[in-house]
Amino acid sequence: MSDRQPPTSRAEPTELPAPLASPKRFGVAVRPPHYAWNGEHFVSDRLVAVDRTSVAGLPGQVEIVIEGDFVGVVADSLAAAQDAARHLRLEWRAPSGAGQGDATPLPVATGAASRELAAEYAKTASSHRHDYGWPSRLRWGDTPGWVVADCSDQRLMLWGETITPEALIHDLMTLTGLPAERIELYGTTPTRVSGLGRHCGDDAAVDAALMSRQLGCSVAVWLDAAYTRDVHALGQAQCITLSADLAESGDIADYRYHQAHASGDIAAVGLWLCGRPPARRTVAGRTPFFSPYDFNNAQLTTRRDDHGTGRRNEHLAEIQQAFARESFLDEVAHESGQDPLMLRLRHLDDARGVELISSVSQRARWGEALSSATTTSPDRLRGRGFAYSQLPDRHQRIPEGVRSAWIADVEVNRITGDVTLTRLVVGQDAGPEVDTDRLQQTLQARVLGSARPLLGRDPAFDEWGDGSKDDKNVDPTPGGALAIHTAMATKESADAEATTSLLQPLDDVNLAPGVAVIANALFDATGVRFRQPPFTAGRVRQALHDQADSLQEETPGRPTNRPGRRWLKAAALTAVAGTAVMAWPWKGAITPINRPAANLYSAETIERGRLVAAAGDCAACHTVEGGQENAGGRAFETPFGTLYSTNLTPDEGTGIGQWSYAAFERAMRHGISRDGKHLYPAFPYTAFAKISDTDMQALYAYLMAQPAVSAETPANALSFPFNIRPLMAGWNALYHDPSPFEPDPGQSELYNRGAYLAEGLGHCSACHTPRNAMGAERSGQYAFSGAMVDGWEAPPLNRLSRSPIPWSEASLYDYLRHGASSLHGAASGPMAPVVAGLGELPEYDVRALAHYVAVQMDAPAGDSETVQADAAVRIATAQSGPAGMEEGERLFEGACASCHMESGAPSFTSAQISLALNTNLHSQHPDNVIQSILGGVHADHVPGLGNMPGFADSFSDSQVVNLTAYLRARFAPDQAPWRNIESRVTTIRQHNNSPSPTPNATTRRG
Amino acid sequence: MTEAISLTVNGRSYELAIPPDTPLLTVLRNDLELNGPKYGCGLGECGACSVLIDGMAARACVLPVSVAVGHEILTLEGLASEGRLDPVQSAFIEAQAAQCGYCLNGMIISVRALLNHTPRPSSAQLRAALEYNLCRCGTHVEILEAASRAVAISTAESPEAPHE
Ligand code: FES
Ligand code: FES
Repeated sequence: MSDRQPPTSRAEPTELPAPLASPKRFGVAVRPPHYAWNGEHFVSDRLVAVDRTSVAGLPGQVEIVIEGDFVGVVADSLAAAQDAARHLRLEWRAPSGAGQGDATPLPVATGAASRELAAEYAKTASSHRHDYGWPSRLRWGDTPGWVVADCSDQRLMLWGETITPEALIHDLMTLTGLPAERIELYGTTPTRVSGLGRHCGDDAAVDAALMSRQLGCSVAVWLDAAYTRDVHALGQAQCITLSADLAESGDIADYRYHQAHASGDIAAVGLWLCGRPPARRTVAGRTPFFSPYDFNNAQLTTRRDDHGTGRRNEHLAEIQQAFARESFLDEVAHESGQDPLMLRLRHLDDARGVELISSVSQRARWGEALSSATTTSPDRLRGRGFAYSQLPDRHQRIPEGVRSAWIADVEVNRITGDVTLTRLVVGQDAGPEVDTDRLQQTLQARVLGSARPLLGRDPAFDEWGDGSKDDKNVDPTPGGALAIHTAMATKESADAEATTSLLQPLDDVNLAPGVAVIANALFDATGVRFRQPPFTAGRVRQALHDQADSLQEETPGRPTNRPGRRWLKAAALTAVAGTAVMAWPWKGAITPINRPAANLYSAETIERGRLVAAAGDCAACHTVEGGQENAGGRAFETPFGTLYSTNLTPDEGTGIGQWSYAAFERAMRHGISRDGKHLYPAFPYTAFAKISDTDMQALYAYLMAQPAVSAETPANALSFPFNIRPLMAGWNALYHDPSPFEPDPGQSELYNRGAYLAEGLGHCSACHTPRNAMGAERSGQYAFSGAMVDGWEAPPLNRLSRSPIPWSEASLYDYLRHGASSLHGAASGPMAPVVAGLGELPEYDVRALAHYVAVQMDAPAGDSETVQADAAVRIATAQSGPAGMEEGERLFEGACASCHMESGAPSFTSAQISLALNTNLHSQHPDNVIQSILGGVHADHVPGLGNMPGFADSFSDSQVVNLTAYLRARFAPDQAPWRNIESRVTTIRQHNNSPSPTPNATTRRG
Repeated sequence: MTEAISLTVNGRSYELAIPPDTPLLTVLRNDLELNGPKYGCGLGECGACSVLIDGMAARACVLPVSVAVGHEILTLEGLASEGRLDPVQSAFIEAQAAQCGYCLNGMIISVRALLNHTPRPSSAQLRAALEYNLCRCGTHVEILEAASRAVAISTAESPEAPHE
């Protein structure tokens, strides 16, 4: 939490005005459920009602800021504001067509403009045609940070890192009506100002300003992964369509360039929501086009109106144009089998440009193949790209403008999708002196940047962590090893002043080819064309998967059902499998391999695998109590007999050391062991089939990197017909759906991440969904409706929940993250190690799980006052016990009350949460209560949770029965008494192998 | 499996290598040789094993030692300061409130914990605080007497304590 201090630590304290250095209040913006920029308009749900009572009584002096559809929650601390935001109840209405000029139905299609264009261009049948997009927002970077605003009638001060200060100031002027000189920006590092477009720090800044303006004091906003929603909602800002025909000679003819907007940047989300959008206007004058090439019969067009921006951004236009043009030329070259560099030279009627390009290409050794010897691991793909531009000199020193030629080498990690820029050769023809170090620094900061706006991460449903460094488990930074070798090929410019370097600071024009050069290198490495930045790991990975899919579709005679496609994907992406296996046999052994070398996988892949193993909680089942982790041998009593978990360590004799990745993946997704035997579905391969390829590979890498333990797995003891393994094939055909997880596009990122974890890796349904007579999980309404597992009840996780106090998303989060919820109780039994495993996961993942389960339960975000009052009433009612149950009462008072009842002074070992709120006591089944009495509650691996001793050795069966009945009557008075306590006690004693104590045993301590 | 555990007991810190789920009581008595806390029931029922953790009563027999890490543990041995007995200890001596004395550790610690929280408890509050401390010898009358005396002594010692 130390990162969540106000910004003093990151700022230059000497320069920072007091209101910004120590903000008075902390704000959280609450966005509508749906909002989007659809290419033409901003559309969002409309705020209908605000229930202020839902946050009344919460700590931290909570205030609500409403302006139009903008909602902000402000409090004394970030935590209090976030908590209040979770509790705040708002009513939204989808925008209806009637009476709302701007409204178009949701969900919103992005790129309406590009569709229009597509129609326009369909008439002209050019042989080469592609669309290039530019996003409205970039992500803000890797680390969350503060944005602080202090706004009065007189002036606005703002602390935050923007990379587009001009656009931000423009927005703040629109918001406040203040002139530009009354707006002061602090914390913005000039070297990070890039022409690449806005990032969502600007949206956070406008949020902070909105709240500060209404409250009249400084307000700090925490810029974190939550703002990724704005990135997605604002979609695409620019769309450029390029087409061309090739002459016989290979020359380009009929070159057409059309851009959808005069310029593309979109105002901050807060401005749209609060009802002060920038004025729409048609941009006067000609849109400048920048092109160094001479094409036959070129046509350049643009639309004049400047939707959603209110201002023109020429820097951005230059970069967007260079990206589209240089990507397009690269594509045409590849499509027509020409060298991309040569194709450009043919159309360059400029001796200085030709000279510059050839000098750069020599230095970079363009013609030579990339040596694969330097590849650091088989996960990596390498590629090289070229881009060129000639743009006007903003300082008017060089009439011809600045020429700039770039060659970049990239390395792509095909498992994680991370892109590393390994070498960059840049040549420019401008200015007398070039400061190489400075260029290198500027490129680092602007093109990759510590914010890495181009190559940073983008959360996907199988992305680990929320990309913020305050998570302990964030992926290692791939850019860490970045080495830029800049080779400068400069040429004296006759007109340049001899003393001034153009790199003071480096002009944006020089960066224009920087985006295209990376896209072109990426294509060379992967065969995938990225027609819109950013090139985030998630997008790259997804593209690699899609590419493998489409390859499959093009292969004639290959069945295109899902399993088949998956296999190919695995084969295409797996270096470990070694051979290009197209499919594996349904049955039959997969050839054993030698155990893969420990250093085969990169550290980041193994770390990712560790998180996958934690989320899947492999060790919970594959470790015997007190035994070596994952060495197997733990017994499972099932209705069909006893099963033993297997050895997952890479021991070649008894573990999975000889398993190739293909064998491992088949087991995980299809329940077939390496030797071809069917596995039993006690191993939740039905859920694991949903694991993404990347996570599966990482898990394999992680397991193979662990120490090998030699441990034979005991033979299973199953009853007929389940002891006949091949019958499981029929079982699979009936009950197993090996299709991978598909995110639901209609749901939020958080929901999809939660669904992925819960349905796949987390295999929640393995316990919480009832099974049919054949041991298969039931579907439909039965999903997550609760089940008995290994002598414990896994309570329903859907609307059937019998919890006395209805669950909320906030309580679920507390329970999953901290092992206990104050309105429900603590995790116990088999759930305790699950919560301990979740402790390894980033905060975002646990939030996602809670959100997903909350949706299944139809649970609200927070606990309302009514619910809290109900809890208080239940606790008060249970202060005294029912009459006529003397034995139970005596047992309770003697053994339980010392911890479970209040004694007037606080106690370190008391059970904090009243039994009156305990879900187990309100269930239909007494099993968990009996289990807890007999075996106690052992959650000491969850920090902060205590232990309850077991009474199996001190209570006789009849005492357990009496106590259980008493607990039910006293703490769940609204529930019918349990009828089957006696038989359950007997069964559970047998199951746990803990017989009722003999009289001798009870007195042994005497 | 043993783990490195550091504990702060009676103002001293200890570095131990023990299984983290060992009951705190066992560690105090066996490893640190602090025998003030007694082993009564081992199930959290009787209170004989009580210690103070961050000033609150805690039943050491049901507490895994790992949970006590980072907290201030005070046993009976640590109650006296600078050679002076704690007022609660003096009161129990004066009232001679013991038969066999096995429960006394828990009684004294519980009264101390109550006074830490409620400096001037009513007699009903005293009874409630001792409700779940068992005495097999039936010395309850003397023990309650000692508890009231402890309140009187500590009130006299700290006249600035707020009035009820
Ligand atoms: S020994 Fe700890 S309460 Fe009895
Ligand atoms: S005096 Fe013997 S147990 Fe209390």
